[in-house]
Amino acid sequence: MTWETVIGLEVHVQLLTKSKMFCGCSAAFGDPPNTNVCPVCLGLPGALPVPNAQAIRLATRAALALGCTVQTRSVFARKNYFYPDLPKGYQISQFDEPLAVHGAVEFDSPERGRIRCGVTRLHVEEDAGKLIHDRFPGKTAVDLNRAGTPLAEIVSEPDIRSPAEARAYLTTLKQILVYAEVSDCSMEQGSLRVDANLSVRRAGDPNLGTKCEVKNVNSFANVERALEAERERQIALLESGGRIVQSTLLFNAGTGQVKLLRSKEESHDYRYFPDPDLPPLVLNAALVEEQRRALPELPEAKRERLVATYGLPAYDARVLASDRVIADYFEAVATGGADPKAAAHWVMGDAMTGYNETGRFPVPPARLVELIGLVARNVVSLQAAKKVFASPKMADPSAGSTAAIAESLGLTQVSDTGALGGWVDEVLTANPKEVERYRAGEAKLIAFFVGQVMKRSQGKADPKAVQPVLVARLNGG
Amino acid sequence: MNIGADGVLHVAKLAEIGLAEHELPKLVEQFNRIVDYVAQLDDVPFSAKPEPFLAGPAATPLREDVVRPIPLARPPAAFAPEFADGFFLVPRHGAMEDL
Amino acid sequence: MSVAAVAAAAVAKETGARLAKAERDGLNATLHWSQAALDAEAARVDALPPGGKLRGLAIAVKDNIVTTDAPTTCASRILEGYVSPYTATAVERLRAAGAMIACKANLDEFAMGSSTEHSAFGRVKHPLDPTRVPGGSSGGSAALVAAGVVPAALGSETGGSVRQPASFCGVVGVKPSYGRVSRFGLVAFGSSLDCISAFGTTVEDASRVLEVMSGPDPLDATTKADRPAFQAPASRTDLKGLKVGLPKEYFPADLDPGVRAGLDRAIKALRQLGAETKEVSLPYSKFAVPTYYIIAPAEAAANLARYDGVRYGLRKVGPEGDIRALYRATRGEGFGAEVRRRILIGTYVLSAGYYDAYYRKAQTVRALIAQDFKRAFASGVDLLLTPTTPTPPFKAGEKTDDPVQMYLADIFVCPVNLAGLPALSLPVGRDGGLPIGAQLIAPDFEEARMLGVAGALERVLRPAEEVR
Ligand SMILES: [Mg+2]
Ligand SMILES: [Zn+2]
Repeated sequence: MTWETVIGLEVHVQLLTKSKMFCGCSAAFGDPPNTNVCPVCLGLPGALPVPNAQAIRLATRAALALGCTVQTRSVFARKNYFYPDLPKGYQISQFDEPLAVHGAVEFDSPERGRIRCGVTRLHVEEDAGKLIHDRFPGKTAVDLNRAGTPLAEIVSEPDIRSPAEARAYLTTLKQILVYAEVSDCSMEQGSLRVDANLSVRRAGDPNLGTKCEVKNVNSFANVERALEAERERQIALLESGGRIVQSTLLFNAGTGQVKLLRSKEESHDYRYFPDPDLPPLVLNAALVEEQRRALPELPEAKRERLVATYGLPAYDARVLASDRVIADYFEAVATGGADPKAAAHWVMGDAMTGYNETGRFPVPPARLVELIGLVARNVVSLQAAKKVFASPKMADPSAGSTAAIAESLGLTQVSDTGALGGWVDEVLTANPKEVERYRAGEAKLIAFFVGQVMKRSQGKADPKAVQPVLVARLNGG
Repeated sequence: MNIGADGVLHVAKLAEIGLAEHELPKLVEQFNRIVDYVAQLDDVPFSAKPEPFLAGPAATPLREDVVRPIPLARPPAAFAPEFADGFFLVPRHGAMEDL
Repeated sequence: MSVAAVAAAAVAKETGARLAKAERDGLNATLHWSQAALDAEAARVDALPPGGKLRGLAIAVKDNIVTTDAPTTCASRILEGYVSPYTATAVERLRAAGAMIACKANLDEFAMGSSTEHSAFGRVKHPLDPTRVPGGSSGGSAALVAAGVVPAALGSETGGSVRQPASFCGVVGVKPSYGRVSRFGLVAFGSSLDCISAFGTTVEDASRVLEVMSGPDPLDATTKADRPAFQAPASRTDLKGLKVGLPKEYFPADLDPGVRAGLDRAIKALRQLGAETKEVSLPYSKFAVPTYYIIAPAEAAANLARYDGVRYGLRKVGPEGDIRALYRATRGEGFGAEVRRRILIGTYVLSAGYYDAYYRKAQTVRALIAQDFKRAFASGVDLLLTPTTPTPPFKAGEKTDDPVQMYLADIFVCPVNLAGLPALSLPVGRDGGLPIGAQLIAPDFEEARMLGVAGALERVLRPAEEVR
């Protein structure tokens, strides 16, 4: 009898604000420790929080991007626990009245095709500080620069059925949030963090098994690995007649194993209650509408439009739509007059390589449009065009037309019979035996002669024009 | 309502308050007296549930997203119990390595 | 003592001399002060451009309101020697108006108490009888005004901590509406209840201090920006047309006879001035103390979690030597008995399985208590008059072992904090040499009405006289 895996994900993303959630300190990443701190985020006696309007706007936009219902009235609550990275001894979060509820993320499951994972809730809260354990022997160092930076917590329904699906959900969620310019979702910088809940049950069993939470995994790939490890652990335990104890585990990327942090018995009693320092958060319709308008076309819609408008294959559309910058570049080229398929080919090929290295497209769309035109008109061969594309001149507006650049690089094709004749004669004199064999009827040798001519012309000769000249000479004697 | 020493110690653990053995009996007694006293709210009669009471404004004001920290007259180093190279220091805690 | 435009330097000298004498007399009302600091305040004030509503007024500040030039300890070991790196909004406003901070005043630890016996730095003595308590938690501020050391002082209220000591000490104590004065820089106890409040020798002194402190603060999201500003009213000469409600639940049969006599005096004075009185009922007020002792400790348990020995204040580390040992030793040794009791109660009423039975229930009762006041005022009374305290000042040590008895000393004052209303205590006379106070309660943000009436009463009452 087989096992079914049930996964739910809690994702924290840092909202792209200049200042912190409840104070005017900079939310910048990477400043010297404890330099972006004030009485509020240090939790000094007498200090009080005041919410950041932009954080609320961004969280609202994220909620709309995920199709959530935005609550016009939500409530900040205190989540009480002691930890050295938590200055007030409580985190200001939201509990039974969150900012938004009932959304969904649609994505392609490696196993089940297109599926939909519900989003239970999205709420705003403040981040904790950073702890460093390896810097002072026997001590833990506390940096509160990050304490109080604004987060949106996005909690999914337990709709995910495999570790690979979890990864696909996260990839799609990140795409949406980056598109909406809500967060840069960088796991390296900690602006996106994932806690995953996993349980297993006999296939067909309507009841959920006991879940365990895997915390603080540092990449989407490791989320998948960690969940695979946890799934194996639970199945092995159950099949050996054991029972799952609800607990929190940590993934060790080195060993690929999960290890117990704490079990439910010793788990926290957070004693949530409404924060008396903060009146209810009431969103006026104008703010919500403004954020609805601020929503860009999201990846899913863009993908469908690229297929419909440009007749692209689904795969190309998905690759291009995965990143707003790439999609915009492609559309600039395609609408600039280049053949969409050729444009997609170039953007996904040579252009993408440059983009992945530098994070930007060196060649302006207009130039790529011209280059694609030159190839179409046989002025430049495809392999020559790649050289032209790679030329720094392509990024230089003062470098004249793209044709002129190709010319100056000596990469335009020669199709003029006179010029070709010279190379053809040289080739024929240099290869008497092959000429003999051709004349003796070995017609396929024509390809060899064309190749030789291309070589002598250093790729300048237009292969289509070379052949007739060769045939004429060979037959003419 | 009777909360024993273990109950009081559980609450003390949640609140991270260390209690000495000798003070426990008196504390447990007073704790119970207070809990019994406030428990009289159980039989407060009321017909209709009242309009929820809010001490402050009906809606929170919001601040614009501007970097303008409240200045500190003294840096953290001046009030921290233990501070080095810009960091607050605390004793190492086993489980913390992982979090 | 009124606010003359006398040179601040002179006021600083006189005030310093009086502070020194109070110290010699063993009042124990101050925690931090120095002549040098006073002189610096005077120099600052004398350098200000002419004007300033409180120019040259020396004010004592309860030591749970932060200032950068003296420690703010909240009378707790856990903050011993802590000097705040920022200043409370209220103090900044007072200073800008020309007031001088004379000293930081003693209090019950973290403002938790009704006798100022729960100070880690020793109890404050009653200025008229050292064997008695001045009330609390703002007992140091009240005693300093009563002893004539300063004309005005800041205290803070969570459950009557200004009106109750004002009554015990025979001075004026005014609690504003919740949201009238910024809490930024007031060390939090019960955030939904806390109010910086004012003591004065006269109604006028207290009103002017309140006026200067009042108004919305961008640093406190619970101040109310949409309300008319408070301006200290001229005291009325007669009270014709005024309707004063007398809530029958606040005049129980077993009310202390001295207090009863004091209130009769106040009622008589009101009528002489042309006011009408009318009995009203506030049936839910009798549940105020138990309600308060769920809500205030719950909020306090969270508000005092920041005293963890990590970033500032006391640090002790238990034998295990880890972070938990640091927390437990620091908080176990740093907090006094009453503070620990309240943190434990507050943690308990919020803990898993008890939230609904205690905290949620208390919120409902709080709403019922507030609704009572709304209805009473809607029934056509302009103000309410009640005793401030059920008894005159009690003996030191009388209630320290029985927390519940101590809590009941606030039975008439703490319903007002739960309802967020403005109220004051006015001295009406003495019984056996001990002051008796009457409480006036006004509708939300009607401080001016209340203070105008108090001014009129102040003129006719003779607070130094025996009430029977
Ligand atoms: Mg969270
Ligand atoms: Zn800050």
